[in-house]
Parts: sequence; structure tokens; C-alpha cells
Amino acid sequence: MVEPPNALRAEQIVVETHALTVFYGDTQALKNVSLPIARNRVTALIGPSGCGKSTFLRCLNRLNDRIPGFRMQGKVRVLEMDPYSKHTDLIELRRRVGMVFQKPTPLPMSIYDNVAIGARSHYGLRGKQLDEVVEQALQRAALWDEVKDILKRPALQLSGGQQQRLCIARMLAVEPEVILMDEPCSALDPVSTFRIEELMIDLAKDHTVIVVTHNMQQAARVSHYTAFFMYGELVEYDVSKQLFLSPKQKATEDYISGRFG
Amino acid sequence: MEGVGESTLLTLGAARSGRRSRRMLIDLLFIGGLRAVALLSVVTVLAIIGVIIAKGLPTISWSFLTSPPQEGMTSGGIYPMIRGSVLLMLGTLVIVLPIGVLGGVFLAEYAGQNVFSRFIHASVASLAGTPSVIFGLFGLAVFVIMMQMGVSLLAGCLTLALFTLPAVVFTTENAIRSVPESFIEAGMALGLSRWQILWKIVLPNAMPGILTGVVLSTGRAAGEAPPILLTAGIYYATGSLPRGWDILKQPVANLPYHLAEGYRQGGVIPEAIVWGTCLTLMLFVLIINIWAIMVRVRVRRRQRW
Repeated sequence: MVEPPNALRAEQIVVETHALTVFYGDTQALKNVSLPIARNRVTALIGPSGCGKSTFLRCLNRLNDRIPGFRMQGKVRVLEMDPYSKHTDLIELRRRVGMVFQKPTPLPMSIYDNVAIGARSHYGLRGKQLDEVVEQALQRAALWDEVKDILKRPALQLSGGQQQRLCIARMLAVEPEVILMDEPCSALDPVSTFRIEELMIDLAKDHTVIVVTHNMQQAARVSHYTAFFMYGELVEYDVSKQLFLSPKQKATEDYISGRFG
Repeated sequence: MEGVGESTLLTLGAARSGRRSRRMLIDLLFIGGLRAVALLSVVTVLAIIGVIIAKGLPTISWSFLTSPPQEGMTSGGIYPMIRGSVLLMLGTLVIVLPIGVLGGVFLAEYAGQNVFSRFIHASVASLAGTPSVIFGLFGLAVFVIMMQMGVSLLAGCLTLALFTLPAVVFTTENAIRSVPESFIEAGMALGLSRWQILWKIVLPNAMPGILTGVVLSTGRAAGEAPPILLTAGIYYATGSLPRGWDILKQPVANLPYHLAEGYRQGGVIPEAIVWGTCLTLMLFVLIINIWAIMVRVRVRRRQRW
């Protein structure tokens, strides 16, 4: 049973923004966005390019910092932490909030090292224990059978779909609670896309998944909740079924019926 | 179309083709000029190499490269000079590598964009533009006299290290800036610390560029005479070297010094030996450049694996 967003109880809300506003130099990327996100659900963020959905995602683990001219106002709360507080341990925040990017980003090292790098750094694991964590992460990302005999090979030799699952495995190895996905399938073929979608549904059993997507069928297939953004504003936020079958806003209806965007 | 008579069309066409041929002529002259200039630089390079090879090759032999000078430098080989240049280069490499790389890392990753970082940039840039003889005099004043190192290998290496520092800082900075942002973001998203991102992601990826740049710039410095003229060079050289660390305290004969002094000492050194030294120095720098390229290829290959 998926309750509507406004009926979510406080303890169900893992991630929340309040009046979040973001500027890049003079350009306003987000306007006054207040969005509560439910634990162990898939929440999809949809909207036309440049609508601010990726910016929103990157505020949750502070990956906007390196962009020149970034300024934000409002409140962000992620797993009881405030990413923008001076006292927050960013390393701890990013351990608990994993991220998968649009373009697969395997590091130029072996498959094994790609998965091990985070676990080694956060938990100081070595030897057998590390091997186990790497295997589990790869199993969960549905990649183990394909790479178990070539763990020492460079990760860049894998196909695009495999690379993306490797990035998911790498993220899972540090055991995050919240998973941010920034158009994780837009560079992949339909078969790989299908596998990643299955993975998202599986991960949402014990993770909170927030996924930015351009693909509305995907949002409808995998997500419990959908938020529609336009021009930096949150236009509509509802249970996915509700939003796709009977949108309340005209702009949402126009967008999901393919009239623009 | 109907309104325009045939003759008008012809005139228009002629005018257009006239303008076109003029444009083509300008193009032709311009491209021809460019070609000539490009050819000129090729000719210059070939001329320099040709003259040096023609004059130097007869002198070069295995014994010329491996035996010390004899009879008051008027005959024999140039082995001590080659050895001295190798020592100077290795010493410079050891000193400049850590300092220059750290400087480049700081500028690329930590300095940010403020008055301080701009000031450092400007300083390093003006250091890069400073004539090498100034470094020589500075080395003489500070290392040789003030710090009482005397004219020595150590003073020479330190001076050459200062001379190559700006190039190493800038190549490091560029190599680090060319590491894809996506790698850095992937590290950040995993919760790696800045130090881990630098050490495990940025530096390994920037290494081929850094090493090539460092070897190339020290190779170039090893061919420079002014910095070591007053700080490390010696005219009379023998085949033997002092043992252990004492080597650092002694002046060393080397190729550029030998060339510069070859003419100054009133023509004592026979011309054939000077040309032979000249060709040897050229080969020395060439070998270093090839080494730099091999370093890059090897590191790249290891990275892919």
C-alpha cells in the first residue's frame, strides 16, 4: 500500500527539503522546492531538461560544490543530517548516500579494485573479508556471474551496461541507505535498461531510491512516487499511478502525454 | 527568371567568376606563404642537425664517449662530461620532482581562484620567463657563496632544479586538470576523502603527463650552460670520481660547460672535439626525450591493464 505523499508520517520521511532554492551564478536552478521522500521506496524525478531535477539530486550529497557560482538557500535534511551544515561529516554523509551517474564512471583500475575502493576506505577491510564484500556487491548488482573470472581485468573493458552495474556494485559495497540515480539508463541499451530497472525495484526493499529519469515509462514502471519539475519548480508530486493516470496540473498532463519536453 | 535577359545573366556570371578567381588567388598566395614559412622552419632544423652531424660524426667513436680527455684537454674523449651531465640531470630530477609536483597539485586542486592563487601563478610564470643566466648568478650567490656549498654538483642540481621548477609545476597542474571530472565526482560520491581522491584517482591518472613533462624539462635543463657555468662546472676533468656523498661537494665537468668553455679557453680544445661534444649533447637530449616517451607509454599501458 502506497500512501499519498501528504499522508507520510514523519518517521517514514528519510530525505526532505524545505524551500530549497539554488543558483548557479545568475541562473536560478531550483525555486522553493519542498519535497519529502519516503523510506524504502523508489521516487522518480521527471521533467524537461534543465528543470532542476539533477540539481535537486546533487544537493542531497553535496555534489554541486565544485560547480562555480553555486549558491543555495532553504533547508535540506538527509538521514537526520544537514548536508550544508559546517558540522556535518561529508564523508559519512556520502557513505550513507550512494550515487550512480548518467554516464557509467568506472575508475581506470581493475574490476575488483573498483568495487573494493570504497569498502576498503570506509571499513578498512582487507583480504578475505574484502573479497566477500566485493562478491556480495557484485551479486546484488547482478554482475557477479559475468565478471567472477576476470576480476583483475580493467573495468574500462566492460560493456556500457556492465559498467553501470559495476558502478552500482561499487556503491552498494559501502552499504548506503539512500541511493541517488541520475538518469542511470539513458546511455544504455534496452536490455541493460531492463536489468537496471529490476535492480532498482529490488534495491528499494531495503534502500530509499531516488531516480532522475527522462523516460516516463520507466518512472511509471519502477517508482512508487513521482515528482514533476519544470523551470526549477516542483509542479506536482504524487503516487506514481495517480500522477500518470490522473494528473492534477495541466503542465503535468501536457508533459506526460508528450505535448512538450 | 524570365524577366532577366540572357546577356544580364552572362555579365553577372562573369563578374562572379572574376571575384571568385581573385579570392582563389588570395587563398593560393596565403596558403603558399604559410607553406613557405613552415618549410623554412623544417629547413632550419635540418640545417642545424646536418651541420652538427657532418662536423661532429667523424670525431665520435666508442673511445671518444668512454675515455677521459688527455694532454691538457687537447685530445682524448669526453666521458667525464657525459657522466657529469647524467649526474646533474638525475640530481635535478630528485630535487624538482617532489617540490614541483606538490606545487602543481596545490595549484590545481587546493588553491582555488583567489588573489593568493593568482599571485602564485604569476610568480611561477615569471620564474618560467627568467633568463637562465639569472638562475646561474642566483645559484652562485645563494648556494655557492652564502650557503658555502662551493662550486659543486649539489649547487648545480639545486640551481637547475629552480630553473626547471616552473615547467614541472605547470605540467603537473595541467596533467591534474585534465583528469576527467567524472572520476573525481565518482570518488566524492563514494565518500572518499580529498586525500584519497588525490592519491588513488587523480595522481595515478595524471602520472603519465607529469612524468613526461618532468623528464622533458630536466632533459632540456641538462643542455643549458648558464645555470651550471658558475655553480657546478669545471674545466679540467679526470676519469675518476670521489666516493660516496663527497661526489656532491665536487664540481663536475659536463657537456654544455665543456662546449661553452671550449671556445673561451683561447681555442685550446681542437674544433673536432668541440663538434663531437656538440653532437653528443644533441644525442643526449634526444635520448632523454625518447626515454620520456617510453615512460609515458609504459605508464599508460599499465593503467589500461
